Amino acid sequence: MPTLIIDNQSVTVPEGTNVLEAAQQLGIVVPHFCYHEALGAVGACRVCAMLFIDGPVKGMQMSCMVEAKDGMVVSTEAPEAVAYRSQVIEWLMLNHPHDCPVCDEGGECQLQDMTVASGHSVRRYSGKKRTYQNQDLGPFIAHEMNRCIQCYRCVRTYQDYCGGTDYGVLGANQRLYFGRFRDGPLESPFAGNLVDICPTGVLTNKPYRFTSRFWDLQEALSVCPHCSLGCAVIPGARFRELQRVRAGVNPEVNGWFICDRGRFGYDYVNHPDRPRTPLLHGEELPWSEALEALQQRLSELIDRHGSDSIALLGSGRASLESNYLLRRLGEQLGTAAPVYGSHAARDRAARAVTDLAAKLSASLAEVRSSDLLLVMGADPLAEGPMLALAIRQAVRNGGRVMLCDPRPVELPCSAEHLPCQPQELPQLLRILAAGENLPANLQPLADALQQAKRPVLIGGSDLLGAEGSAALLAAAQKLNSAERPCRTMILLPETNSFGAALLAGDGPDFDQLLNDMDSGRIKALLCLEADPLTDCPDRKRLLQGLEQLEFLAVLDHLPSLTAKKADLLLPTTAVAEGAGTLVNNEGRMQAFAQVFSPGEPLRFTGQGGHPPRNFSSTTPGALPCQAWAVLAELCGLPVNLAEIRRELAAKEPRLAGLPELSAEGPGQRVLPGNGASSSVPPAVATADESLQLLVCETLYGSEPLSALSAPLDPVCPHPYVLLQELDAARLGIAADDLVQLTAGGQQLALPARLSSRMAEGLVIVPRLRGTELESFYPGQPPLPCRVEKVSTP
Amino acid sequence: MSELLPAEEIAELKRQIAAVHEPRELIVEVLQAVQQHHGWVPDAGVELAAKLLGLSPLQVDEVATFYDKIYRSPVGRKVIHVCDSICCWSRGAESVYRHLQQCLGIAPGETTSDGLFTLLPTCCLGACGEAPAMRIGDRLYGELTVERVDAILAEERQEAEV
Ligand code: SF4
Ligand code: SF4
Ligand code: FES
Ligand code: FES
Repeated sequence: MPTLIIDNQSVTVPEGTNVLEAAQQLGIVVPHFCYHEALGAVGACRVCAMLFIDGPVKGMQMSCMVEAKDGMVVSTEAPEAVAYRSQVIEWLMLNHPHDCPVCDEGGECQLQDMTVASGHSVRRYSGKKRTYQNQDLGPFIAHEMNRCIQCYRCVRTYQDYCGGTDYGVLGANQRLYFGRFRDGPLESPFAGNLVDICPTGVLTNKPYRFTSRFWDLQEALSVCPHCSLGCAVIPGARFRELQRVRAGVNPEVNGWFICDRGRFGYDYVNHPDRPRTPLLHGEELPWSEALEALQQRLSELIDRHGSDSIALLGSGRASLESNYLLRRLGEQLGTAAPVYGSHAARDRAARAVTDLAAKLSASLAEVRSSDLLLVMGADPLAEGPMLALAIRQAVRNGGRVMLCDPRPVELPCSAEHLPCQPQELPQLLRILAAGENLPANLQPLADALQQAKRPVLIGGSDLLGAEGSAALLAAAQKLNSAERPCRTMILLPETNSFGAALLAGDGPDFDQLLNDMDSGRIKALLCLEADPLTDCPDRKRLLQGLEQLEFLAVLDHLPSLTAKKADLLLPTTAVAEGAGTLVNNEGRMQAFAQVFSPGEPLRFTGQGGHPPRNFSSTTPGALPCQAWAVLAELCGLPVNLAEIRRELAAKEPRLAGLPELSAEGPGQRVLPGNGASSSVPPAVATADESLQLLVCETLYGSEPLSALSAPLDPVCPHPYVLLQELDAARLGIAADDLVQLTAGGQQLALPARLSSRMAEGLVIVPRLRGTELESFYPGQPPLPCRVEKVSTP
Repeated sequence: MSELLPAEEIAELKRQIAAVHEPRELIVEVLQAVQQHHGWVPDAGVELAAKLLGLSPLQVDEVATFYDKIYRSPVGRKVIHVCDSICCWSRGAESVYRHLQQCLGIAPGETTSDGLFTLLPTCCLGACGEAPAMRIGDRLYGELTVERVDAILAEERQEAEV
């Protein structure tokens, strides 16, 4: 650990730290553009110059390029260094337009900050400036090339870090142009990171354009709710509207970046149809009366039918605290334990994952530094986009990726693809878990595993199911040793699937609930941020069950099908409007802080014009309450998050760290489970001759929250059916033909897409909410199906 | 795209590309082949090169636009590259450049109306010992004076006429 002196202060830093980072540790503000924590140093912009007075290097040096060494004496304040930096910034500013007042970056612009920090305040240059034509880069990113200072951060992010190939740098020396070959939407699902990474106003957030100044935004540290990875995000709100999301920093999880689903999926919070008032049979009523009505109805039914006539349904969308208080409410009412999840197979898979994962599970940081990633039945870009980016970093560091999947899984990096049938996956994992020999065609995989020093087995709970997930954990356990750690990462369906599954323990699942509803025993159902009508694969049976209910109560912030059917609807807050904890797929508890208070966006109440001038003492649309607070009140507990966390930690030993959790910091792993369910699935017979329909999540359109976000509308796919080329040829089907898909008692006409990289005999449709494909559910074994050609376009 | 490159040449390029470890190595060669046949490299030429190399058009265009000897817009039959770097500048390149503009009646970046000459500045041609220097097509000319420039232009014109 070298010790050096910067500006007369001594600092000791880890080996490999550069002098710029060392100065930052001392709190010294050093101008920099091309250096970025996630991208490293390239020494290109020349504004981080310092004077090296003593030690192994001397003279004016770029501090980002010099490794800190013992005995260095460095000055950032030496007159030469100050003059050097102010000249460089003056050059950088030569061509820069004077347009801060109309630039969206203003107020959070590194160029503004660094210009001031470098002491350049008067423009001497009065010649012509270089100007450019901007490009249309699609729905997410606005382009204003005149503001560019050629720091290359965008290219290094887009191409190197994210693996995009359609954005880069054109020209040379004075004529550099950062853009695409021609106008068109950026192809990378991580393009939104350009907004955060560009230190000037060239690349800004298009949906957010001209809405707010940075200093007017309400921001807080939060967690992305759009998949189970739980990336750190910083949502920004103003005028009662969630206006944007930027990446937060969590070195253990997302690092510095997020995906475009996480960045542009926020608009569900502002959805015009969102429930905002308590409703009893469609009539508005105050909260106090609504809660009274709920309590009264429940106690009536308990008196008449006994407490097991009440069922409680939690979800992987609701926070840990809310889900816990639901269980607490059940205990007080004497009901059965809540069911956590409207999709029984997904719930069972999540529970299988929670059992072991905490000690074997890899963080995204561990994925990034792994040397072998076996991706078995996971589609990272669809089921957890930032995992795809983490895998890319492993490859950039020399790691290897092998994909076993029936789907044509795409990754933003090179990978070896070994197609297999869905039912083969658990078998393969079973063989690995038993330490037996893999079939000959998978010998490369066996060899790679043999050589790897830090392998990670990656799976997706939708394709693997409970048994496959358990087998994956068992395989990792078998391959894991003190000398050669082997880790796992299993993608789960929802943001808090892990937390919900952990609370579920060995409680009932949705299949049991359906049985109880069938038998007529259940008279009332209370849903916590759950939408069984959209998520339960047996919708028909569920509808019959709901018909028999005497009382359906729903707490939610989404305008869901179930919420629309509710006798009593209690509006809750979205993640950004409250505080709580989510547990990500590796078992990391992450607290999120409240960004803003709910209310109807001014954009709606003002109908686009000046805010309305009718005054009232209440805020329109401000009634939604945090679900945990509603439940605490129903339980007669103090509405105090810290106390609830303490109580929960005391009851659930695996959540021991919960009371110390804060929204700052990387979160905390739950403690390991006892590994009881690492049983290995039995061999199953292979499927019959008919085509098998597999329903899969997609990057956009599957996840319930972001599916309601208007900024994502332009990129949501239209329904289609994907066929293996050889099967299509047999059936006389060409790409884009209209085909009829018959499966599960339904018939749909869909355009065909073809792939040569998927397993034969398989037909794939995406899970697309709000479309005719909504009634096909992921996380289920494949369905027998038929496909016939209808017409050629 | 057929007019951009003859089929035999495409086949030959494909062979070369298959033989290298990293197709990017051959971006310049493929672009030069297109330029040889077409005179300059239109967007379709970049797209053709990208297809042959298995890269995105942007990845090819990054290289194409970096080099000033790859022409991304139409040029005359002969392109004059006048060095404007330090050695040539110190030995009178500016007056040579001015003289060329006068003789040809065009500004830098323009093409004579007969479509023969395009005039472009260039950075060091590696002929500093013979500064000031310029290049017309693949031919290098050093020790330039106003008189010599007149003679060279006349020769080049004559050559173009035969
Ligand atoms: S567009 Fe932005 S990030 Fe890219 S080089 Fe220009 S200033 Fe830097
Ligand atoms: S990877 Fe998942 S958690 Fe991370 S930003 Fe994207 S949707 Fe959000
Ligand atoms: S930050 Fe050091 S040279 Fe750019
Ligand atoms: S400076 Fe002109 S050839 Fe080198």
